[in-house]
Amino acid sequence: MNAKVSNNERRVFLQSLSVGCAYCAIAPAQAKLLDYKLAASEIAKGTWAVHGANEYFNLDNGGNIVNVAFIDVPDGIVVIDTGPSKRYGEALLALIEKTIPGKRILRVYNTHHHPDHCFGNQVFDKNLIAAPQGVIDNLASEGEGFSENLYRLIGDWMRGTALVIPGVALEAGFEEVGGRRFSLYYLSGHTSSDFVIRDDETGVLFTGDLAFMFRTPTTPHADIATWQQSIMSLDSTDRELIFPGHGPQDDKGESLKQTADYLHWLDDNLRNSVEQGLTMNEAMDLPIPSRFNSLSVLRTEYERSVVHLYPQLEDSIMQEVIVTR
Amino acid sequence: MVLDTVSNKMMRIGRASVLLSVVLFGALLLSGASSATVSAAQLPPDPFESVMWKQMAERYFPGEKVVFDSRVIVSAPKSAENQFHVPITVDATALDNVEEIVAVADLNPIPHILTVRPIKALSFVGFRVKLQQGTPIHVGARTSDGVWHIGGAYVDAAGGGCTAPAMAHGQSNWMKTLGKTRALTRRESALSARMTIRMRHPMDTGLAAGIPAFFMNKITVRDEAGDAVAELDLYEPVSENPTVTIKPSVGQAEETLQVTARDTEGNEFGFPLVVPSFNAQ
Repeated sequence: MNAKVSNNERRVFLQSLSVGCAYCAIAPAQAKLLDYKLAASEIAKGTWAVHGANEYFNLDNGGNIVNVAFIDVPDGIVVIDTGPSKRYGEALLALIEKTIPGKRILRVYNTHHHPDHCFGNQVFDKNLIAAPQGVIDNLASEGEGFSENLYRLIGDWMRGTALVIPGVALEAGFEEVGGRRFSLYYLSGHTSSDFVIRDDETGVLFTGDLAFMFRTPTTPHADIATWQQSIMSLDSTDRELIFPGHGPQDDKGESLKQTADYLHWLDDNLRNSVEQGLTMNEAMDLPIPSRFNSLSVLRTEYERSVVHLYPQLEDSIMQEVIVTR
Repeated sequence: MVLDTVSNKMMRIGRASVLLSVVLFGALLLSGASSATVSAAQLPPDPFESVMWKQMAERYFPGEKVVFDSRVIVSAPKSAENQFHVPITVDATALDNVEEIVAVADLNPIPHILTVRPIKALSFVGFRVKLQQGTPIHVGARTSDGVWHIGGAYVDAAGGGCTAPAMAHGQSNWMKTLGKTRALTRRESALSARMTIRMRHPMDTGLAAGIPAFFMNKITVRDEAGDAVAELDLYEPVSENPTVTIKPSVGQAEETLQVTARDTEGNEFGFPLVVPSFNAQ
């Protein structure tokens, strides 16, 4: 095997390990049985939300930091995102069976390739799991690295978890599932492929991580200008309710406002910092306006974003000099 | 000069020998330093509880006196978001007469990150480093009385920062952009400037399979009279596309500083940077 290729693969692998990593020691063998204690609440007719904590991955939350939903459609059930682990997937399946007994799962959507949203895929039939080709490609290239890093962050909660890539690539503007029509939107900005689904019957818009509510947006794969365009496009999309990737449901568009406002400030602040010649560490120490105090994980996510976004801003803002050799 | 010779040899003889050379190079440093080293009994205990503290102190902070000093401020994230680019900023400006600043990552396979001599500059430096694992960082500022003033930080990191190939090796034309530089110079006060330079270079450690060590190892900033303002010796752990911030001392008038950088293959890169006059800002 070509050494260079394998080296580069290793590089990509290690790089993806580092995406999303925060300090968390792996604890000794867990004495208690790990239980996500998932609960569903009906946010619209036949639409059930499973809310995670507005936190970062840790050994207590087991990665249950994400919003997942399932919908009772006439002939079956549709699931939106699958959580961070096999154990979460199993708990989700049990919760679905308990909430809507006796109905078949017809479709599972993955909104994007981040591990908190699709590492429960394993418990579902691969051929029912659907996402845009971009999400599938991102999972294929970075999924294994995410998996390794999640073992580091949440330990035994991950036991037995293996990456399952969606078996169905979507490109249509809508699809009918079990007698319900879903509109499908192919956006980007939070990652290079962000998938948004609208239930045309209830008007619930499942935005994935293009919208965060009372939770600081994360940027490991972000392109902020594109993200802002996607938010504008979502804002003008007909809907009754927004179900964001993190945080409570939102019937007023507040999640879009919060996300846009924070990203705008973040981008401005980092641009100014680069223009002032501040080091990353100096930028990390800058004050964050108090209007963002309602967003959880604020300082930690801001510091992570400095590392994600600074290099490309430096390459665009700092002037090239003529070098003599 | 010693480093150049060793590194050029690394280029020729491949990975196993590179490792050997690095070890030998370390041993050379160690033997050269041992005569005037603080004995273990006199060495202050390490607030970062590094298992390597004694070895780090003997090897990199040789001399008669080593003290931990809160005036050496080392800013680093608690956890490395990206183990290939961990930002560190050292501010020892509260100390007078700093002649040399040495930064090491204790648990890196090659600990020495960089040495800065702020000849006519504030004792301040920002840089980014590759980490092989979670590690204490120690930074010593040697004052003209020979005392090493030590500060530090602990950074947790996912593994592998030093043994993976640089991003450059994923591109076929990386040699063409070698030394391509972006820079930013601002005046900080009537008497000092802030200068950030970002140069394209793979900064190969020699520890990634099949890729010999190849890194930018010297940056010198000179004033209009040709006198050195600051000298930086960079080593393998400095991140790819080294991005360094320093604060040269300048007069109130506009001033053109000349930067020269050199890598371990002897490539030299030079460029001028203009510090605006105090009144212009």
